[in-house]
Amino acid sequence: MSPRALYFLVAALLMLVCLASAAVYYCLRGRRSSQGTWESLLKRLTFVDRDAIAVIALDVIDESGQQRRDDNSAIMGAPEIWKLIGGWDGMEALEANCTVLIDLAFFVQQWYPEKALVVAEQLRLNAREIQWHVERLKGAAKSGHLESSILMNAQRAAVTYFLMTRHVLELYESRNLAMLADLQKAL
Amino acid sequence: MHLTGLDFLLWAVSFAAQVALLFVLCFRRRASAYPFFTTYISANVVRTIVLYLVLHFGPRAAYFYTYWSLAILDVLLQLCVVYEISSRIFRPLGSWAKDVRGSFLCFIGISIAMAAALTWLADPHTRFWMQVLIIRGNLFSAVLMSELFVTMITLSVTVGLPWKAHIAKIAQGLGVWSVMDFLIETGHSYFGLSQKTGVYHHLSQMRIAVYIACVAYWIVTLWRDAPAPRELSGQMYRELFALQGLVGSQLQSLRSRRRS
Repeated sequence: MSPRALYFLVAALLMLVCLASAAVYYCLRGRRSSQGTWESLLKRLTFVDRDAIAVIALDVIDESGQQRRDDNSAIMGAPEIWKLIGGWDGMEALEANCTVLIDLAFFVQQWYPEKALVVAEQLRLNAREIQWHVERLKGAAKSGHLESSILMNAQRAAVTYFLMTRHVLELYESRNLAMLADLQKAL
Repeated sequence: MHLTGLDFLLWAVSFAAQVALLFVLCFRRRASAYPFFTTYISANVVRTIVLYLVLHFGPRAAYFYTYWSLAILDVLLQLCVVYEISSRIFRPLGSWAKDVRGSFLCFIGISIAMAAALTWLADPHTRFWMQVLIIRGNLFSAVLMSELFVTMITLSVTVGLPWKAHIAKIAQGLGVWSVMDFLIETGHSYFGLSQKTGVYHHLSQMRIAVYIACVAYWIVTLWRDAPAPRELSGQMYRELFALQGLVGSQLQSLRSRRRS
């Protein structure tokens, strides 16, 4: 066997194993998300202080979700935001809840696809945005620039979460009362 | 080229299965919903007939050129099917999801580079340069397709975009087929044609058998109807009105907190 043939065989088999493993893993993960029950999805939610999130979010947006331009807007400092959000634990809880919220929206979309598509897509994009902000914060922490990154990313993540949870409540409001009551407690 | 009875049997079964699938696509009115997939299956039916006729009635060189031309068409149509599937998954509201575009294009670039690198590394033993071309071409397309399908699965689950009923079945079949094809083409490239032609031949038979299994899967799954969406009940509509007051009071609470 020539060295080149050996390299080819090893590279091809490695690539095959990686592709097959990724396909199986993500297929199972996708199936788990789509087959979860309402109760099992709710159990995955982590507690987030919604009042604190509302305070952070309403510092820069109004109740309709528009950016505030008055003199009293954007007055919170980075330490205050970081404390209210609960530090790293709070950010990770936000990130984890985003994943669950997508699955919750997916649950409604699966059974009522014609009416939930737009809201579900909005939720998904919001969740992705929060994940992006958290990743940026992690990067900033590693490079020692966490303080300056908080105002930019942590507050933005809180605003997105605040708007997103409102989207979820609106979504479930138009679907099922019993589900909404559970969701309001969990969020 | 010496063909055995098993070769002709696999050829005939493959042809019959593809015709049956084409019938299902037209009779169950899936053809208009999945035009590229229907074209891909139609082209495979035509390809089988043309290659059979050229093998029996045409000169030897004609088979090579026909095979190669149709193989390029096959890869192009598979790429069109990839586009059809990805556009159904990653365009939930009619336009490409903004968080997917960049990642998907990046993954496509990486997939092409990796497929090209692996194809370059392959060094099959053959008697003629044309055989090297065929083996490497088949390997490249098999690697690329399997990478693209795994990319679509990975990306859709990561970003949270679901696969709808029939498109999921088409993708599952093509995904399994492309990964198995990758494995078989690795064998083709490794063993080559010069000495162990028996291995090459058996792998080719296995390739057709896997494809027949995938076509059978599509026949069954595309014949069945997709699960019907549920209708909102009257009670849920009534509950909706009762709920509006509840959510309104929640918003009021938020507003008062902001003012305080």
